Amino acid sequence: MKRENAQALLRAYARFFAASFRANLRSAMEYRTNFLIQVFGMMINNAAFVVFWSFLFAKTGALGGYRFQDVMFLWALSSSAFGLSNVLFGNARQLSELVRQGDLDVYLLQPKDVLVNALTSKTIVSAWGDFAYGFVVLAFLGFDPPHWIMFALFVVSGALVFTGVFVISESLSFFLGSSAGITGAATEFILSFSLYPEGIFPSGMRWVFYSLVPSGFIVFLPLRVFRSWSPGLAALVLAVSLAYAFLAAGIFRAGLKRYESGNRIGARD
Amino acid sequence: MTVIRTRNLAKSFSVRVGTRGAFSLRSLLRPEIRLVEAVKGIDLTVEEGESVAFLGPNGAGKSTTIKMMTGILYPSSGTIDVLGFDPQRDRKRLGFLIGSVFGQKSQLWYHLPPRDSFRLLGAIYEIEPRELAKRTGELVERFGLADLMDIPVRKLSLGQRIRCEIAASLLHRPRLLFLDEPTIGLDVVVKQEIRALLDEWNREGKVTIFLTSHDVGDVEKLCRRAILIHHGTILLDESVKSLKRRAGQRKIVGVRYESPTAIDIPGLEAEKRTPDAAKFFVDSGAGDLQNLIRRLVNLGPVADLTVEDEPLENLIADLYRTGSKEEADELVNR
Repeated sequence: MKRENAQALLRAYARFFAASFRANLRSAMEYRTNFLIQVFGMMINNAAFVVFWSFLFAKTGALGGYRFQDVMFLWALSSSAFGLSNVLFGNARQLSELVRQGDLDVYLLQPKDVLVNALTSKTIVSAWGDFAYGFVVLAFLGFDPPHWIMFALFVVSGALVFTGVFVISESLSFFLGSSAGITGAATEFILSFSLYPEGIFPSGMRWVFYSLVPSGFIVFLPLRVFRSWSPGLAALVLAVSLAYAFLAAGIFRAGLKRYESGNRIGARD
Repeated sequence: MTVIRTRNLAKSFSVRVGTRGAFSLRSLLRPEIRLVEAVKGIDLTVEEGESVAFLGPNGAGKSTTIKMMTGILYPSSGTIDVLGFDPQRDRKRLGFLIGSVFGQKSQLWYHLPPRDSFRLLGAIYEIEPRELAKRTGELVERFGLADLMDIPVRKLSLGQRIRCEIAASLLHRPRLLFLDEPTIGLDVVVKQEIRALLDEWNREGKVTIFLTSHDVGDVEKLCRRAILIHHGTILLDESVKSLKRRAGQRKIVGVRYESPTAIDIPGLEAEKRTPDAAKFFVDSGAGDLQNLIRRLVNLGPVADLTVEDEPLENLIADLYRTGSKEEADELVNR
């Protein structure tokens, strides 16, 4: 009986996810030209760095134990994971704004998890470009099917970590009143560290990548697995990314009790 | 069956008081916090099938109360039971049974046609696709939405949007519908349509209505019971019929003479006066009305004479101005 309940719940959420995703996509497609411009714009923006790095490596050779291919992998994975997070959970970086404006009401009235409902009800258009970019890079680097599957898996786990970090930093607004800027800073931080070879950072600093700024779990560990397959390490990455997601959900839930709603009728900020 | 029961329901917010200027170090480090009691101990019970108007001036605590009943806000103290559930603990399960239309907050997707939003709501409320199609069809017919279903919401007029909004809130067949200012900003015709639709839905026994509105028309046309709160407490809980009767006990008598006339009625002050016309408020009981009219007619040749019930709006405005339950009782029982 219990198992049937769980199955029914899963089915209901799967249908809800699919419907939400379809609505997001249709909503983005309402402005088709804008969609295409943003997606391709983002890909070209990202591609500019390929040129930069290829020149650099031509001059220096390997950097911190990383070859050109490895750095491209960091870019591809960060970009696709960041993209997937923003494609599926477009509201993750806007939660504090929703809280501040009292806009969580709509989600609180509906019989679905508030966090899941709020996160999935928006998609960031340019993120589709980020998401696709990683796979384009991977195609250029030329890998075999098992590596493609590994990459896809790490895109999902990375997206979970990104989403977790966004949700945690945005949830601070429940406790602080407003946390505008914190998520932006956290995003910049993680991205900056995720896009450079781990080896160039002093070893005393690397613990940061596996705690506060979880770049380690988003890209560095996956890269090691990608270079030489290790089921233990892969499992660790997945477990940590799930833990991040659950931690974020817990912090959000704790904050939700302090939610004060609001009556916004075109008032100035 | 009882659908809403609250006991001693209270909610207070802590508000930071800005005292000494924007750059004061003290207000930054140790801000002064004041506790604002928005709702102070509300006891109320609503039975299945009722249509209740929840009235009160701005800031009386209406929205806060509704938000606690729907699980949006946590009460500071007291208990709430809605359809057998604790709205905070069983928010999701309760969500399947209640509907809501908050005039300011849409549940339709702005860039999508209503049909897409209906489909998404079908997934959120776990309505089987076949059943969803059937219910959508019914609501489309009932609310006259056939031409609107495929137009993006941003291109609909406010009246069209609210019609879609209400239909959307009924899609999962809620047993209790919360409406917060549903007719705000609508023109007279649309207001009447929406009231008629909601009234019909309520009278067919499909839904219990709990509504807040500043439009007395909503109250008169749609609700059979009125609960008035002020400063976070209930001042009055009456049937709309008896409220109307009480308002109607006071008459407004208007008179206009053919030429300027000294309009003096001993013991009765005119509310308004021009050289040839005046307006009086008088109780209809105890022969006062008859007396007044006789005297007015005796003063000179009358061009026009009108007698009207005092509008319910006036009584409600007077009630809003009172501060306590005693004053309100006195006003209603005068």
